[in-house]
Formats: sequence, structure tokens, C-alpha cells
Amino acid sequence: MTPILDVQQLSKKYGDFEAVKEVSFTVEEGEVFGLLGPNGAGKTTVISMLTGVLPPSAGTALIGGYDIRTQMNQAKQLNGLVPQDLALYPTLSARANLNFFGQIYGLRGKALREQVEDVLRIVSLTERADQPIETFSGGMKRRINIAAGLVHQPQILFLDEPTVGVDPQSRNHIFESVQRLNRERDMSVIYTSHYMEEVELLCDRAAIIDEGHIIALDTIENLIGLLGGGVIYLGLPRVDAGLLAQIAALPAVREALPAEAAPLGEGEAVAQRETGAKVKVVAEQSQQALVNVIGWLNTQDIPLTSLKILEPNLESVFLHLTGKTLRE
Amino acid sequence: MQALNITSKDLLILLKDRGTLFQLLVLPLIFIVVFSGALTAISTDEAEQDTRIPLAVVDLDGGEAAQRFVTDLDTAGGVRVEPYAQDEAEALLQERKLSRVLTIPARFSADLDAGRPVTLRLVNHPDADPEKTEATRLVIEGVAQDLSLQRQILASLEQMAEMQANAPETSQVFTAERMIAQAQSQFERSRTQPLIDVAQRGPQRGPQRGPQIAEREADAFPDAVQLAVPAFTVLFVFLTAQTTAHSIYEEKRLGSFRRLLAAPMSKAALLAGKMLPNFVTALIQTAVIFAFGLVGLRLMGLQPLSLGNAPVGVILVAMAMALCSSGLGILIAALARTESQIGGLSTLILWGAGILGGSFVPLFILEQFLGSLPRVVPHYWANRAFENLLIRGLGLTSVITELGALLAFTALFFAIGLWRFDFN
Repeated sequence: MTPILDVQQLSKKYGDFEAVKEVSFTVEEGEVFGLLGPNGAGKTTVISMLTGVLPPSAGTALIGGYDIRTQMNQAKQLNGLVPQDLALYPTLSARANLNFFGQIYGLRGKALREQVEDVLRIVSLTERADQPIETFSGGMKRRINIAAGLVHQPQILFLDEPTVGVDPQSRNHIFESVQRLNRERDMSVIYTSHYMEEVELLCDRAAIIDEGHIIALDTIENLIGLLGGGVIYLGLPRVDAGLLAQIAALPAVREALPAEAAPLGEGEAVAQRETGAKVKVVAEQSQQALVNVIGWLNTQDIPLTSLKILEPNLESVFLHLTGKTLRE
Repeated sequence: MQALNITSKDLLILLKDRGTLFQLLVLPLIFIVVFSGALTAISTDEAEQDTRIPLAVVDLDGGEAAQRFVTDLDTAGGVRVEPYAQDEAEALLQERKLSRVLTIPARFSADLDAGRPVTLRLVNHPDADPEKTEATRLVIEGVAQDLSLQRQILASLEQMAEMQANAPETSQVFTAERMIAQAQSQFERSRTQPLIDVAQRGPQRGPQRGPQIAEREADAFPDAVQLAVPAFTVLFVFLTAQTTAHSIYEEKRLGSFRRLLAAPMSKAALLAGKMLPNFVTALIQTAVIFAFGLVGLRLMGLQPLSLGNAPVGVILVAMAMALCSSGLGILIAALARTESQIGGLSTLILWGAGILGGSFVPLFILEQFLGSLPRVVPHYWANRAFENLLIRGLGLTSVITELGALLAFTALFFAIGLWRFDFN
């Protein structure tokens, strides 16, 4: 099957700084694809190139078969962009905003009116349609922001950090809207976020992006599977090959590797770290492996100077792959 | 079509922005009322002090005697001398903006000094007020006669003094009786054979004689309303450029600019869409301010605005000015990166150019101490065009240069604006 989006070696340079480095991925029709990475990783730049906001420095992408370098106008008709900013006109009503964003995609008359009503229903704001955006709550503005990207019925929707600064209730509403669009209209969605739980919840596949590179790309299950049953960082007075082999041989342990240092978790201060050797234990099942490792260390009379457990999720995968948290 | 969508959206936003509407449409009217009121008081006082008939004088000689003649004419009472260049005076006479032109020929002073007769040329427009023409002629002839007599008596006395110096022994020849007789002879000669003659004629008449020139309106010092209405229209139409720059900045700040870039439209359509509201607003501004000048001022008991004789010219100047203001808006948006930079640049460019370009001080005064400097700003050309059309009452052809200058400024602003505009 031909993918709706085929990104090929896409790069963006600003002078000597390479913001996006040869990024490649595909998105199938009806797929929800996540771009996960910390702020400044290059997610928005990738989306900007794919939506025609920025020209690529190298590489290209095919959107519905249209090359963004040579057929951007045709590709734009298939795209819907929901920018990270609340890209709305505050003094105009929700309906006036949606009318305008429909008009710039060529919608007129009855078709425009019907589409505007439709997207207002999707984001559940029909009753507030004639009120100025500036009177809306942050969450309601976010929902209209999404509606503005949907009004021309795009085949592929680019959602750039759509839940930033949104209350939990509106966030859930946004999740439901995305799932409904995907389920009922078979719309493909590119969803960027630095919230791993959102990507885990919504996406079929995800690319983890850091410093302009894609460092991992797979289904959510497979990405989480990179960590096996979790990772345990042990602080020990000394580490040698024999010790590592003995730990690796314990039940529920997949492998034991020397580690420079355990990555810092969110809110963990550098001063909390202890000095000494570190061991990274990749577990089949983290709790069972922890019991086995601590029991064995006791029998060997080896004191444990520090301990950190990474549960198997995308946050841990990112930490595991980059040594940084997604919020850094 | 895309550009029109952006334009209608921006105009809708503008309609909801009361502060900007006040600045664009109400503030100029306040300026006009205040300045017109103040200037009317001043110009009325001046008008009361000087009720003489204006007379255009072209001095092709420039010598001592010519200057003396002009001074005598101006101080004789009855006419007020207004110096003009020959081409300008002839053009204005053809345009019915001058009623009569007196030309002092070249070599006027030299011929008088040599005692040779000279002829002044007084050209009257066929539609000029005949009573004023006659009064003017009498004043000119009176001054010419006085100067002739003075010159002839002086020449005679000089001749007698010379004769006496050459033959002192004959000094008794010049008795009082003989000197009186000599003076009477010169006086009679100056009356019958004046040294300075005035030749009077009218220009080629057309097939039909037009209505009499309303000389008080045509020749009077421009009234306050005729100065203030176009001057503040120019100032505030160019201030609209600031609104365009703000609108583009807001579009970028909100992030909607990204949305527009992601839509299937060209960058040219996007910029045209952001520029058109300025153009439309500037035209509406001009219409509102001029309508106020025509109707509102009359209702307030002030002298209403006169639209001159070339309404098409007024419309063309308004359009060229609106276009230029739109280009300036794009230029400011391209040069300024922050809101405070927009404010700073706008103050510097728009208010500064307004002051330099004659929106606060009439051009004929401004150019006396600034020379050609005001020509570097578009406001000058817009003000000069309106001056020609509304104050001098000239035709469309009189503003071709000004229209060209405004369009050249527009092209320059667009070129720099597009070159420096940051779409990213």
C-alpha cells in the first residue's frame, strides 16, 4: 500500500546549524503517527517543512504522491495544520475564524457552512460558535485551533503539541477528537508531543527524535520493548567483568552492562548522585530482577550505593537512548 | 481570491478595533477642526489687513530701477505685488488662476538709465473682473508716470548741473524762472510722452467667454481649511501604514501567519492580502475626511473645503497615496522585528515624514527654510498634489509629476519590503 506520507532524507539547515538531519519515515493512510522528542528536538521544523511553512534544505517528502519540492500547492490541499500556537484571531467569533480558514482553502457557500458546523460539532463548541475567541478558556481555544485545521477536510492532519497549556478535561476532549477523526474518517494524523503518555495513548507508531535525528522508529510496543521489562541502574563500589557476568546470569535479567552514570530522572538533582561504579541491568521483568539482584549482592556482601529503576515506557526508552529526559 | 479573503478578514478585525478606528477616522477630524479654527483666526486677521488687488509681476530685468518700480507699485496702495516666474505666471493665467500679469522687460533699468523709453506689458485674462483690471491699470500707470517724471526731471537737473560745471561763468543763465519752466516742460513731456509706457492686452480668447474669475478665491492666500484638510489627510493616510505593520506582526505573534503559509496560496497573494486592507482603509479615510471637510465643517460654521476643478485628479492622488502608504506598511513590517520597533519606526518615519512633508506647516513656508529637503518624503508629493488641485485649483496635468513621485516611492518601498520580508 502506498503511504499517504513518505518522508525521504529531509534536512533543514540554518547557516551551520542543522536543525533536522536526514529524517525519513512513512505514514500509512488512517495511521496515527507520533513524533516524540524534547523541546528543540526538531519536531516543529519537520512539520513546518511538510506543511510548506519552511522550505527543506535537502531531501523531500511525498504527500498523497505529491512532491513537496515541486507540487507543494497540491500537497497543501491534503494537509491540515494545527500549530502549537493558538493561531486564531481573538476578536473574531469561532465561526468567523473557521469561515476564514475554510475560505483560504477554497470553500464557499453551503459547503463552507456545512463544514464549519461539522467541525464545531467535532470539538463540541457549536453553542459558543458566535462568541469571540478572546472569551474562551484555554482549552476551548485549543479545540477551535484544532477545528481550524480540520475545516477543509484534510487527509492528513499535523497536530503540533496540541495539548500545551491545556487542562485535563480539555486534554481528554482533544484525545477523543483525534481518536474519533481517525476512527470515523480514516484521517491520518501526525502528532508531535513531548508528553510520552499522549503518544503511547494515541499513536500506532512513533519516531523518537532528538537533536534533529530520528533515534528510534517503530510501533509503540516495539519501542517500549527496547527496554525489555525495564532497566535498573545500580551504584556499586567496584565493577568488573566477572561481576557483570554473574549479574547477567541471574533469573529475570536480560543483560548487565557497565554504565557511566544513571540518567537523571525528572526533578532529580545532580547532587543526589553518588560516586562509584555503575551497572545498567536490562531486565526481563524489572521487579523480579531487582529482588534477585539485591539478594545476590547481599550474599556477596557487596554494598549498594545507589539504585534507580526505569519502568518500561516511552519516557524510559528516551532516557535509555539519549541519557536525557523528554522535559529537558 | 485568497488575497481578498485575507483582506475581508482584516477589515472585519479592524471594524472591531475601536481604538484603531478612532485613530484612523476620528483623530484626523479633531486635528482638522482644531487647526482650521486656529489658522482661520490668523488668516482672517491677515485678510483684514490687506484688501489690495493681487497683481502677478514678472520681473525679467531685476535691475535697480525695476526693483524700485516693483516696490513703488506695492506701496502705492491698491495692488499687492506677487512675484512669479514667467512660465508659471503664463500657465496660471491660462488656467484662470491669475487675472492679470504685469511683465517688466529685460533691460528695463538700463534703458531708463539711458533715457530710452520702455514698455511694461500688462496681460489681462478676458474673464478678469473689468473694474479691478481698470483699477490695476490706473495704479500701474500712476506709478509708471511718477517714475517717468522723476527720471526725466532728474535727468534734466543732471544735464543743467553738467552744463553749469562746464561753464561756471554762465551760472546766472539758470534763473529760477528758467528752472521752473524746465520742470514744467519735463512734467508735460512725461505726461504726453512718458518714459515708461504700459501696453495692455488680453490673451487669445476661446470661442466662448467663461464666467468671470472669482478673484478673491483665486488669488487670495489659501484659507485654513484648504490647507488643513488635505495636509491631515496625507498625514493620517500614511499613518495607516502603521496598522498594516502591526497586523502583520500580530499575525506572526499569534501563529496564524504559519497557518496562512501552510494554506494553498502564494506568498505574493498573502502579502497582497495584508496590503489591501491598508489601501481600502486609506481610501475610506480620505473619503471620510474630505466629506467632513465638505459637509461637517460647513455645519460647524467653518469655511467648507473646496474640491477644486479636477475631481479625477483628487481621486488619482488619493489612490496613489493609499498605494504608497500600503507599500510603506510592508516596508515597516519587513524592517521591524518587535512591536516596540514598529512603534519606533512608525514614529520616526510616519510622523517625521509628516512634519517634513508639509502636513503641519504649509509647503510654501516650509520650502523657504528647508529648500528641497521635503522632497525626500512621499508626504511632500501628496501635499503638493493636493495644493495644486485644491488650493491653486489646477487641472489633472498639474499633478503628473507628483503622481509619478508617489508611484516611484511605492515601488521603492515594495522592493525593499519584499527584499527584507521574513516569511519564516
